[in-house]
Amino acid sequence: MSRRRAQNKAAARRARQRRRQAKRLERQTQPRTFLHAITSGALALPGLADRASAESAPLEMRADYKYSQYSEDSLDSGKAAPGSERDRYEIDIHQFRFEAPVGDRWGVGLELAHETMTGATPWYVTPGATPADDPVQVMTGATIDEARTDAMLTGTRYLDRGTLSGSTGVSIENDYLAVNLGVNGERQFNEKNTTVSAGIGGSFDQIEPVDTDLFPTRPDKENKQTYNLSLGASQVLGRATTIQSSLKYQLSDGFLSDPYKLAFVANIPETDERPDQRHQFSWLTRFRHHFTRMGGTLHLDYKLGVDDWGINAHEFELAWYQTLFERIRLIPSLRYYSQSQADFYAPFYVGPRSDGYRSSDYRLSPYGAFAYRLKAAARFQTWQLLWDANVSFERYESASDLAIQSVEVENPGLVSYNLFSVGLTARF
Amino acid sequence: MRASVLLLAVVLLGAVGCESVRPWERDVLARTDMAWDPDPLESALEKHIEFSKEGSLDGGAAGGGGCGCN
Repeated sequence: MSRRRAQNKAAARRARQRRRQAKRLERQTQPRTFLHAITSGALALPGLADRASAESAPLEMRADYKYSQYSEDSLDSGKAAPGSERDRYEIDIHQFRFEAPVGDRWGVGLELAHETMTGATPWYVTPGATPADDPVQVMTGATIDEARTDAMLTGTRYLDRGTLSGSTGVSIENDYLAVNLGVNGERQFNEKNTTVSAGIGGSFDQIEPVDTDLFPTRPDKENKQTYNLSLGASQVLGRATTIQSSLKYQLSDGFLSDPYKLAFVANIPETDERPDQRHQFSWLTRFRHHFTRMGGTLHLDYKLGVDDWGINAHEFELAWYQTLFERIRLIPSLRYYSQSQADFYAPFYVGPRSDGYRSSDYRLSPYGAFAYRLKAAARFQTWQLLWDANVSFERYESASDLAIQSVEVENPGLVSYNLFSVGLTARF
Repeated sequence: MRASVLLLAVVLLGAVGCESVRPWERDVLARTDMAWDPDPLESALEKHIEFSKEGSLDGGAAGGGGCGCN
């Protein structure tokens, strides 16, 4: 008797799900005028009209895979110290993601990444041969071979006017372990035209540097804790226009220095020493507008970053999503980034600072960067599955003269790279 | 900083001047290319590279990890 009742219950739940799905599809594909029916032809294709945000429970399972090759340019001979290694990092990255509905109101997601890295990395910077020469980079002597594995699990509860989600992840390297936790909530108002979101998260990291017998100044074991808080709002501005703005604050506490880098102080290489706390803020604003006649969508993003180490950063991103022949998308994009230096940073030091801090890490130096990317994506249907295949290429170049402000001395370790990716998505 | 204030003003004016979109008018908003992050794996990788190679905080929600020491 109870089994029959359970079967009836399950059948009723499946019928409810089918009715909801049919209603949603009807809403998404219903042409309002003849012109609209023609111009939004792409929307009638299954999949192209699916959810733009996580505002409703997923109706289908989705699996993504992406393979990427990240390859840094070799150091110019003029920027490398005589006899130093010049080849830099090469990374192979495999990423996998799976999301699925669980019942009517829950969704789960799993994201995995595995990277294998090889190459030399910047170690320390020395003054040039004469005072008139630019400083030069000394790279790590031995080629590093390393791997990183990252896993993240997310659970989302879909409510009538919002979502609640929790996530937990782990990142493992032979010398590094990080565990993170996060909770996010979204609430919709005004017929879902306004969404307010908030999130809180933490990461607990432990580093056990390698080769401490060869380099006795490296610590045996250190810890770092990171806590962050984010608040955001998005607003629908029209039938084809939407904007989102979010603030994020992060507190990092613990060992924030780099155990594998040195700073040249009065001609002696010393350990990298940074403050043991950092307060960072970022403000991100994103704008989306779809040009129906052109079949294209504009993405405009701007991010301002400020922290108490003295780094102010600006980031602009512009992308155009052009739909062609209903099943192909071409996506050119451009990113510009500029940052000022950390207060205690210098390419090298004539004498010690009174606060004892020192770092010549290029990531704390003043510079600007441009990234250009072209991506192509195609959609097809086979074996009763919907597939999305995509390929992209990105070129990233950084230099001190690309910075918004003027920079006196360029860090010779600034990075430029190529990133090539192929990806495949299946929906079922 | 002046650019940021100007941007904030544009955002606020935009929000005030917006029209209310009814549930059955959301077809364009539901397009995948209107999503904040249309390719989640691409966004995750970009964020990780920026976190590893640049000096400022990402703008996303909570989460993420790893060393990025090199």
